[in-house]
Amino acid sequence: MRRLFIASMLAFPAFAAHASTPEQRGLEVFRQVCSSCHSLNHVTYADLGELGLSVSDIKAYAAQHEIPDGLDDDGDPKTRPAHPSDVIGSPYLTAGMARMANHGGLPPDFSRLAMTQKGGIRRIIDILVSYTSPPEGKKLPPGSYYNTAMPHLHIAMPPPLHDGQIKYTDGTNPTVPQMAHDVGAFLSWAGHPHLHTRHRTGLFVLSYLAILSGFLFVLKRRVWAKQTKKLP
Amino acid sequence: MTERPQSVSTWLNTRLPILSAFRREYVEFSMPRNLNYLWNFGAFAVVSLTLLILSGIFLALNYTPTLADAFSSVETIDRQVASGWLIRSVHMGGVSMLFAALYVHIARSLYYGSYKAPRELVWLTGLGLLLLVMITAFAGYVLPWGQMSYWGATVVVNAVNTVPLVGKPLASWLLGGEGLGNVALHRLFVLHFVTAFSIIGVIVLHVATLHVTGSNNPTGKDLTEPDQTVPFHPYYTTKDGLGLCLFLLVYAALIFFAPDFLTLSDNYVQANPLITPSDITPEWYFAPFYAILRAVPSKLGGLILATGSIVILFALPWLDSSTIRSARFRPWLRVALPLLFLAFLALGLAGMSPPSPFWLWISRAAVAYWYVYFLGLLPMIARREQASRRKEHF
Amino acid sequence: MTQDDASLTSDTPHSKPEQGPRRRDVLATVTVGMGCAGACALAYPFLDSLNGTRSNRVGESDILDVDLSLLKPGQQSVVTWRGWPVFVQKRTPEMLKKLQDPALLQKLRDPESRIPQQPKDAANWHRSITPDIGVMIGICTHLGCVPTFDAPTQAEPSGKYLCPCHGSQFDSAGRAFKDAPAPYNLPVPPVTMISDKHLRIGESKGDPDFDIANIRQI
Repeated sequence: MRRLFIASMLAFPAFAAHASTPEQRGLEVFRQVCSSCHSLNHVTYADLGELGLSVSDIKAYAAQHEIPDGLDDDGDPKTRPAHPSDVIGSPYLTAGMARMANHGGLPPDFSRLAMTQKGGIRRIIDILVSYTSPPEGKKLPPGSYYNTAMPHLHIAMPPPLHDGQIKYTDGTNPTVPQMAHDVGAFLSWAGHPHLHTRHRTGLFVLSYLAILSGFLFVLKRRVWAKQTKKLP
Repeated sequence: MTERPQSVSTWLNTRLPILSAFRREYVEFSMPRNLNYLWNFGAFAVVSLTLLILSGIFLALNYTPTLADAFSSVETIDRQVASGWLIRSVHMGGVSMLFAALYVHIARSLYYGSYKAPRELVWLTGLGLLLLVMITAFAGYVLPWGQMSYWGATVVVNAVNTVPLVGKPLASWLLGGEGLGNVALHRLFVLHFVTAFSIIGVIVLHVATLHVTGSNNPTGKDLTEPDQTVPFHPYYTTKDGLGLCLFLLVYAALIFFAPDFLTLSDNYVQANPLITPSDITPEWYFAPFYAILRAVPSKLGGLILATGSIVILFALPWLDSSTIRSARFRPWLRVALPLLFLAFLALGLAGMSPPSPFWLWISRAAVAYWYVYFLGLLPMIARREQASRRKEHF
Repeated sequence: MTQDDASLTSDTPHSKPEQGPRRRDVLATVTVGMGCAGACALAYPFLDSLNGTRSNRVGESDILDVDLSLLKPGQQSVVTWRGWPVFVQKRTPEMLKKLQDPALLQKLRDPESRIPQQPKDAANWHRSITPDIGVMIGICTHLGCVPTFDAPTQAEPSGKYLCPCHGSQFDSAGRAFKDAPAPYNLPVPPVTMISDKHLRIGESKGDPDFDIANIRQI
């Protein structure tokens, strides 16, 4: 019994190291799939610390990306590895290049997509899991894909997710719905910065104000107690 | 009196009598004993304005008023600046809380006749404050340079352009002769600051005029007997304090648990002069006036009626000739005035709904009632009341 | 006359605010104290925001590689590291000899670099990791101006730094002279030689835990 207990204690940290939150898995999907077309123009690498990434992980992620760094002494454009304080940004240097690579369409920026997309995260997940092969005889406009979540049943984004497409570091089975939900969690985090802190601070502030209101209520009653006449 | 050393407060007060003035105006100041909680809303407005100015200063430290950086500097405030998200929420929520407090404050004034003699100047300075707050809110809304900022500004600038004679030069001065560009954004930033601080000055006038006559009360009658009044402190410090705490409770619930409830998500998309958002609506506090603009099938006519709906309030003390202040003792007004409030609410709802024949006719009826009330109903009721009063006296 | 009026003129005149029981005073004190505490707490986010986006730069590396191949003995070049001017000098044998001159050492405030103005591997007589290369941050420890380099000449082969603002003087290793206002030696950044001709600023092999933020003054 005791050995079992020790064994489980030893196993637990190993398990903890591999366990990851939906947001962290969503980041993995973003890095391996979405980020080849979509930008995160306002989220910095350092912001990812809020998801529980370590400083060294953030530094390593940032260092993978070369970003423009003005001109060198000969006047040629030069680049440098990104710093943690740089925004994750776009895979394309310009909006024109993004359109060129995507049949004229501009892949939307992910920073506030959870907020600006009508229907929010649920709609995004819905779109991601609603790719099927079109029924017989269904004609699609060129450069579009059959998707049952869209009002006209087609979408310009090619199906981004496939079962087993990526390998989660925590060993989660990478099915399309799993990846879609994880990406949804990640986008939700990006679109509502500091939501967790906001709620925590809010609880604290509300309870403070509630207690103060209680004190003021009693105090006010006491002060006005002398004025017993019915107020008109 | 011998060598006893003067206290610091006496020393100060003999040279600059601010301590005795404060005592006179905020400690011993005689207040009617029977004010209800609607009299708290002026204090609410002052507190939300203070928080707005405070948070505004700190936001301005991190904001860049250029087309290239405005949007991303606001995103930086929300994401990377330490506690920036909280300060921006205080500012955004504060606008809604300020307007809500002002609208209730004005409604109370209408109901209990606080605009009447001898408080006409309190009313007029108050309306001046309302206009300044509206200009400030408009200018401030443009600053984040989101889609709603850009298109809201475009619509307002085009509306100003239609005003005969002064419209074109006014718009040109505001925009620096160009379209909505860098110059315009910078000017709106400065305008936002200048009007925000001038509001403080007008509040001083507003309160000064109020303290000359003293507060009105729910009966609308002059209460001068000692047993009808209480000193401001501790009676109204505690009552305002309690109300204020509850007001802050709502304010905090809004910014911490429903930060997106009153904001339009389209403003989190950077301004794009090539695409107008599909459902463009103003913030709720401008919705009634926007509804008037939409209800009138004429460009200039809509603008005249929308601005006229506020301008007409300036004439109110003279449109209502009745010497009875409180609607408590004006049975006709007790019917007509709630309908006016209803019309205002209907206009607000209409302004926030997508255009439809239903809301179009609702808002047309509401605008019509607004003008009928002030130009026809109210003067008529007042004349009848005066006539019956004279009869009683004979 | 209505009921409202009647109730207003009833017969209990209000007196001065009553000297209530002690309990009310305690309650009032607690309430006011709580309100003040809340106001102070409100100040926190505002002051916190003045820190700006600093927390975003956690763990940012500041590595700058400098090519020494063009630098001639007796010369210095100025590079920018973390926004500061950094002097990189190549010393002549005369300069090195002068740095150990007892007559000079007597005139210096901190000839042995005891005050932590440098990484441990630069706390020596030449204040650098190799004697012939000197690296220091060119910000006067008096009030922050950039000292000018008096390059060694035939007449004065030692070379030194003069601050244009208030006349502070430093020898060619950045050590402050006693009879001038600057209180400390010029700061030395963490430096590593990565080859004969290249040095790296921002990393110190001899003192890996060194943090430039912890020096006495910059």
